[in-house]
Amino acid sequence: MNSLVVPVSKESNILGPVAVEFRHVTKAFGNRKVLDDVSFQVCEGEALCLMGRSGTGKSTSLKLMIGLTKPDSGSICIGSEEIANANEDQLSHVRRHMGFLFQSAALLDSFTLGLNLSLPLMRLDRTKTPEEIEQAVDETLKRVGLDLDKNKMPNALSGGMRKRAGLARALVLRPKLLLVDEPSSGLDRITSSEIDDLLLMVKKEYRTALVIVTHDVRGARRVGDRIAVLDQGRLLGLGTASELDKSEHEVVRQLISEY
Amino acid sequence: MRKFFTFVGEVSVFGLKGLFEAFRPPFEWEFFLNEIVEIGWRSLPLILSAGLALGIVLSMHTRGTLVQFGAEALIPSLQSASFFNELGPLITALLVAGRVGAGIGAGLSNMRVTEQVDAIESLSIDSFKLLVVTRIVACILIMPMLTLFMDFSSLAGGFLSERLASHISAQLYLDRAFKSIEWANFIPPTLKTSVFGLIIGTISGFYGYTTDEGSEGVQHAATNSVVLSSLLIILVDVILVKAIFFLFPRNAV
Repeated sequence: MNSLVVPVSKESNILGPVAVEFRHVTKAFGNRKVLDDVSFQVCEGEALCLMGRSGTGKSTSLKLMIGLTKPDSGSICIGSEEIANANEDQLSHVRRHMGFLFQSAALLDSFTLGLNLSLPLMRLDRTKTPEEIEQAVDETLKRVGLDLDKNKMPNALSGGMRKRAGLARALVLRPKLLLVDEPSSGLDRITSSEIDDLLLMVKKEYRTALVIVTHDVRGARRVGDRIAVLDQGRLLGLGTASELDKSEHEVVRQLISEY
Repeated sequence: MRKFFTFVGEVSVFGLKGLFEAFRPPFEWEFFLNEIVEIGWRSLPLILSAGLALGIVLSMHTRGTLVQFGAEALIPSLQSASFFNELGPLITALLVAGRVGAGIGAGLSNMRVTEQVDAIESLSIDSFKLLVVTRIVACILIMPMLTLFMDFSSLAGGFLSERLASHISAQLYLDRAFKSIEWANFIPPTLKTSVFGLIIGTISGFYGYTTDEGSEGVQHAATNSVVLSSLLIILVDVILVKAIFFLFPRNAV
């Protein structure tokens, strides 16, 4: 991570090294532009919630950040590493400091929960002994409240448990940047609130930068230090929830309104 | 036409990449052994039962004809020659294409649709090596072994049929079955099934790994994997048989 220090908001008091930066990023699928000249930064220890109507490029932004898809133009920096034109080896290096919680959790369904968490440790941290890996898995599962479910298969878990398991896998390597795709989708209000608690814990205890794609206004206001609102590929608003409440764009005010 | 050649090119590059990556570390031993179990061990009941049944059926058919010429003593050697040279390898490949090809196509495309492939990539793990290369290599290595099981179970089926019909002893049946079989009749046709394994692994891996049609893609991947693998196996078999006859001229006699 580089040492560039930027002010992130008039109201937010988070200052720190940049964890992820979009500079004039454009991405189209066929004739449809899903991101059009989008720029923003997220600092270490900060949570940015990406909101917007469906199909406005929120999930695409996450996939761009982790290099699963490439931008048509613009630059994307993870820490000090430019990844827009990075090759697989460079991406692999950058991804070691990142975690991704997928909307469906995307657990490997032929592995137990324990093996899902062991896999990245076995592959990426060859210095760890099997006992140390076991211990790291146990600790992470305990953090998310799944310590008794280690030997269960993913299809034996409920929706909320799968989300927590996905989060545990994303956290097992202690990432500096965590990307979260719709953490509350398909969950009841109490369970999604529990996931929000875990995300707040991650931000506070590990000082992990979070980029969260969500439609859940309540969760975004609670977890996000700032909210970015995308509409038709453009970044319409970026700031704290109270700043956006006064936005000149009606779409922004509607999207972040709790009522 | 251009679309066809593009497809052929893409599948060829996919298969060659799979072969090349198989020799490049890191080697995914655990996943490879899982695939050996999935593709080999779990196909065994199908192969053994199909071989036994086909052996019985072939024996019954040939008996009806050969008895008319007083040549029923040739039934064991006809049975072994048919299965070791052609039927065993080809039927094994078609059965594996049906069971394993559909499984690989549907399994990988389901992983793609449910973002499991993306999840593996996001963990800095090469999903192609982990999911595709292991399956291709397992198919290549396991096919000759499954073919041997098919060959010998068909012989067992043939023996059962003959035993009931003529009370032939196992010793005499085996003597007659292997009398005209040479290594050249046995090794090349068995080893050619590795090429069938490469076809099954590559085609089904390609359809499964590259799908982008959502849940509908799972169905397409499974169907296309079986259809194209089976067709290619039969077409490539013609070339391989010709090549074996060229390299081992005594087989052609």
